[in-house]
Amino acid sequence: MDAASAVREAIGRATIYLDDQRWNDWLDLCADDFHYAIKSYSPEISYDMTYLQGGRKDMESLIKLLPKHNTDHSPLSRHTNVCTVEVDADGKNATAVSSVAVYQHLLDGTNSHVDSGESRLFLVGKYIDKFRIEEGRPVFVDREVRLQNRRLDKGSHWPI
Amino acid sequence: MPARNHNQWTANPPLQSSEWIDSRIYTEEAIFEEEMEKIFKKTWIPVCHESELPKPYDFRTTSIAREPVVICRGPDNVIRAFLNVCPHRGMIIERRPAGSFFEPQPSGNPKRMTCMFHAWQFDMKGNCVYVSREKEGYQDRLRKEDVGLRRLRCEVKFGGFVWVNLDDNPVSLEDWAGKPFECLRRTLEAEPLEVFHYHKAIVETNYKLWHDTNCEFYHDFMHYHNRVTGFNDAYFARKNESFENGHIVVGTFEVNYDQYEGFESRAELSFPHLPPNQWYMIDLFPGMNFNLRGSALRCDTVTPLGPNKLMIEFRGLGLKSDSKEDRQTRINHHNSIWGPFGRNLHEDLIGVQGQGTTMRPGSEPRRVLHGRQENQTIHDENGMRHYYDEWGRWMNRMPNDPDKVFAERKLMAAE
Repeated sequence: MDAASAVREAIGRATIYLDDQRWNDWLDLCADDFHYAIKSYSPEISYDMTYLQGGRKDMESLIKLLPKHNTDHSPLSRHTNVCTVEVDADGKNATAVSSVAVYQHLLDGTNSHVDSGESRLFLVGKYIDKFRIEEGRPVFVDREVRLQNRRLDKGSHWPI
Repeated sequence: MPARNHNQWTANPPLQSSEWIDSRIYTEEAIFEEEMEKIFKKTWIPVCHESELPKPYDFRTTSIAREPVVICRGPDNVIRAFLNVCPHRGMIIERRPAGSFFEPQPSGNPKRMTCMFHAWQFDMKGNCVYVSREKEGYQDRLRKEDVGLRRLRCEVKFGGFVWVNLDDNPVSLEDWAGKPFECLRRTLEAEPLEVFHYHKAIVETNYKLWHDTNCEFYHDFMHYHNRVTGFNDAYFARKNESFENGHIVVGTFEVNYDQYEGFESRAELSFPHLPPNQWYMIDLFPGMNFNLRGSALRCDTVTPLGPNKLMIEFRGLGLKSDSKEDRQTRINHHNSIWGPFGRNLHEDLIGVQGQGTTMRPGSEPRRVLHGRQENQTIHDENGMRHYYDEWGRWMNRMPNDPDKVFAERKLMAAE
């Protein structure tokens, strides 16, 4: 498999792991120096905002503590379309940009009797991913989730 | 007592009449409409922060009680507010959430607020300065002087927040909120602040239930983060202090942030004049909140959209003088707890939406309790009692029986 195809597959695999809430499997796709951020530009305050950010250890702590927090358990599914993959000339690094729409499948967030089973558009944005290619295997070193949304209603405890 | 039958369930609780409310004040359309007229059109609302319009001709738009509002900074650097309504045909003048009037618009000139519909133009003081084909249409029957914008009371105060009041003759802002802000005045006015975070939530609940959540800390049982970083003797000794006009302040203590895995002390970035890792909360009637956790300030502004629908705007602020590194740290501190993907805010919003689920228009009226008495400390619900007493006064309705006028309260208490 060529490097660009491997990058596409890694993004697809990350999507499936995140959708399935296999958080540790998702982190296994990431380097030790992985950095994650959810960002959005606000025209309201003319500021490039960082809604959440951290290194791999921060994400491990976040995931570990999820069961201790009350949360909306409505599953998310990420429809990811890889738009561009650029592999450096030396084949050691790559960058990919994907468009992503995240749907929320309502379970217990509101009145489950009425709402459970409904799917709503939750987030829209892009994944901007950077990879290091180690022995032909791309590992995530950076993921920026760049959201269009600034109306986020109840929000989420989960990585996007 | 075992589970109750309908009569037992709907009976008044064995508490004083001021210690519970009737949920119809959260669900009835008529009460909601009355609140818009009697409360939201009469009280000071913090609509934005001065850092959101840093340059002359910058503007922000918002709304209060359904009335569209535009706030702009004039060439004299004064921030003013107007109804965002063209006096000609009622078109909303500025449609964007923010921007600058310095640049020309398709229908109008630079440095003007222009109504795109018929190209009427207004300056930054609200004067009408151009009516297209004025003489041809109006001859001398209507002049520009007759069609200025509706100006609104507007002040910049308490750390640079922009406050607007739709009432032409309100109590002064200092008299309205000066005393509750006293605990943080020196801190908030030490140097300019800057907004670094903004997002909105629309949730199906009543605005008062959101304000309750900001006023009462008993719900810290819901937050794992607050339990592990806070529950100690100093936390339980925090005072819940009531102020005139329905405001409350929850006193401070030192939070142990490093007790939450992955979090760190915020001591190095404490706001000016504060000891490390302090946590102050100012709750203003009818639904505004200023929440300072040592290194970051949060401000919530409510815009009620219906008895069971609420928009909340969340802002995070740091010091304008922050270095890039310090700013990023403050943002992390703010958003790891209060951001849309943070540990606490998601839980708070699930909580109030859950209340909204059981209290919708048409729901059987519930008795909602706020009767905890703990010497006015953190889990005492005196703050909510104080708030609803003020609400009753503004609405002239009893919070625990909204069909009765507020004046009856003393009589009922005496019975």
